[in-house]
Amino acid sequence: MLKIIIPTIMLMPLTWLSKKNMIWINTTTYSLLISLISLSLLNQPNNNSLNFSLMFFSDPLSAPLLVLTTWLLPLMLMASQHHLSKEPLIRKKLYITMLAMLQTFLIMTFTATELISFYILFEATLVPTLIIITRWGNQTERLNAGLYFLFYTLVGSLPLLVALISIQSLTGSLHFLLIQYWNQALPDSWSNIFLWLACMMAFMVKMPLYGLHLWLPKAHVEAPIAGSMVLAAILLKLGGYGMLRITMMLNPQTNFMAYPFLMLSLWGMIMTSSICLRQTDLKSLIAYSSVSHMALVIVAVLIQTPWSYMGATALMIAHGLTSSMLFCLANSNYERTHSRTMILARGLQTLLPLMAAWWLLASLTNLALPPSINLIGELFVVMSSFSWSNITIILMGANITITALYSLYMLITTQRGKYTHHINSIKPSFTRENALMALHMTPLLLLSLNPKIILGFTY
Amino acid sequence: MNPLILTIILMTVFLGTMIVMASSHWLMIWIGFEMNLLAIIPILMKKYNPRAMEASTKYFLTQATASMLLMMAIIINLMHSGQWTITKVFNPTASIIMTLALAMKLGLTPFHFWVPEVTQGISLTSGLILLTWQKLAPMSILYQISPSINLNILLTMAVLSILVGGWGGLNQTQLRKIMAYSSIAHMGWMAAILVYNPTLTMLNMLIYIMMTLTMFMLFIHSSSTTTLSLSHTWNKAPLITTLILITLLSMGGLPPLSGFMPKWMIIQELTKNSSIILPTLMAIMALLNLYFYMRLTYSTSLTMFPSTNNMKMKWQFETKQITLLPPLIIASSLLLPLTPMLSILD
Repeated sequence: MLKIIIPTIMLMPLTWLSKKNMIWINTTTYSLLISLISLSLLNQPNNNSLNFSLMFFSDPLSAPLLVLTTWLLPLMLMASQHHLSKEPLIRKKLYITMLAMLQTFLIMTFTATELISFYILFEATLVPTLIIITRWGNQTERLNAGLYFLFYTLVGSLPLLVALISIQSLTGSLHFLLIQYWNQALPDSWSNIFLWLACMMAFMVKMPLYGLHLWLPKAHVEAPIAGSMVLAAILLKLGGYGMLRITMMLNPQTNFMAYPFLMLSLWGMIMTSSICLRQTDLKSLIAYSSVSHMALVIVAVLIQTPWSYMGATALMIAHGLTSSMLFCLANSNYERTHSRTMILARGLQTLLPLMAAWWLLASLTNLALPPSINLIGELFVVMSSFSWSNITIILMGANITITALYSLYMLITTQRGKYTHHINSIKPSFTRENALMALHMTPLLLLSLNPKIILGFTY
Repeated sequence: MNPLILTIILMTVFLGTMIVMASSHWLMIWIGFEMNLLAIIPILMKKYNPRAMEASTKYFLTQATASMLLMMAIIINLMHSGQWTITKVFNPTASIIMTLALAMKLGLTPFHFWVPEVTQGISLTSGLILLTWQKLAPMSILYQISPSINLNILLTMAVLSILVGGWGGLNQTQLRKIMAYSSIAHMGWMAAILVYNPTLTMLNMLIYIMMTLTMFMLFIHSSSTTTLSLSHTWNKAPLITTLILITLLSMGGLPPLSGFMPKWMIIQELTKNSSIILPTLMAIMALLNLYFYMRLTYSTSLTMFPSTNNMKMKWQFETKQITLLPPLIIASSLLLPLTPMLSILD
């Protein structure tokens, strides 16, 4: 793992020592190279995990997430070039340093073996994200957004720390490779119920669960583009990844403890999808769409069947790529009109036809069109939740319909129709932007040819 | 102040604390405390104005009361055990009175009322000495009598201190009062773990002193005592704003900075001793502290505080030299990976 972690750490000296005209080239190139290295992790020969050392390992669940993380860094760098172009050199370097630091913590989080080390790195990802949101966001609401983001996550995760330490003092070790073999049923008692709650709430807040999702629209909307991309694509998946790891230790309480969260997720996905139909702010629409997709992942993780785990993992990767692409598209609008209001920039298909093609593809994958991996994820989740309880098919079906409705609403409002007269002088699409969209879309389309690699460890 | 006199007074302060920490006779400890108190009064009064006089008087009164309570506890201990050596205090009355006296010296709730007012009334350098050096002596005595301290009283005071330290600092804009409330909260954390594992108290004290030293040095650099004047640092020294950000996040206890280490270790120790609700509550209340640190970072480094156009040219105090800033920054932010080295503190 050091072959990925050390180059990522060295991205920071690279930015500080690069010349003014080379910083973007250097960092983007090297981060692309690092993502190529991480692709080798996808080759997992047997059903076990690849154990690199006592501290780092990678298994079929964390490998796709790791590849997504490393793939996203060059994309974030490409997306940030425009809005940072007017900043002084030192601030550009600081921004890239924050991104590289965040990337290091994320890579170490996804490959950590010891759960306390996972926790420390999980919390450590908060600091660079907070700095990116509050320092480089655009509106005054970003301060509030940063505070909500920080405090919601911290209040959820401090009980997790206490729970992890108490599990360690009871069972002797929190090393992941040991726990999977030592696993015993958790005895039934009130304190174990609180233990379950303490373990899960941190990840519920991060996912986010419907009742605790208030930080997400704020943070996603106020963050600059790289912040939005990394938040939507990776940081939410940290919650899912953590839940998938920790539910292994928490049986059989999950059988009855999961009910309130299942209810909240099932209802929440309908609610947040419906709110998307009433949004005027484009980024806010994509943010609520993220909540809705993640609610599906929560349902899948809490049901705990092999198919649902496959669906959860596939959905996480697919949603990561799709939602990051949607944020890039929204940002390309924002950079031209300096407004996130959807109806202010209508009819873009006549002005920017190639970008309209990307908008179409992104909206189609967002509504889970076959044969994309979004569909595979959602379908597996729908099927496993149907087997858990027949009635959920109504809610799931309603959710798929409403998702299709708002995705098409977003597409039609921004792309079709007559363009508004005040945007007829916008700049045409940069090659950088088209490359960005292509780099998002290509993995998404290629993975539909071989989804086995993202189906996780129950395949 | 005349440098010779200043040297003598500082030496007396130093000597007082050393006598407290190195003695084995209770009377010598009391003498050490009194020496320390008498010598620090001129330091507190370096700027001769009514505010400083008021602060010094408050400090003198509370510390003298605490010393007298300490003397009473010593005498009761003498009465019941017949000797003056420092060991654990066997008599419960003496132990409780001694704990209360030392809590008064440290500024634990419910004896915390003097800390913000005294810290506010004195200059930044004196405040630095007050909040770091003066805590060493009472803490060393608490360490030595730790086996016999009544757990209920100590834990109550600790939890209330964390709550008061967090809640009280929420409404402050004066930097010295913010540091005072931060000190109350950190003393609470130190007191909570004292009975279970005194080594962690020492660890917390060490990290707390590093971080407080760093913060005060950064404040002294621009001679800023209010949030507003701290928000002008981006004009003259932008690097200082980054350092303030890092140190404040470390004081708030965010991983991966070293301020997380004492909190993590304390939570671990308390959980191992089967108290689960207590560390959870303490950790949540420490978030109140984090809130006003975040507010401070918002006004200094993460935003450009609203200012008029000619603020860049505004006359500011000449920047003072900061002693030993690089080692302090490293110590207050990057020590977390060295956690396994804790064994050297035993």
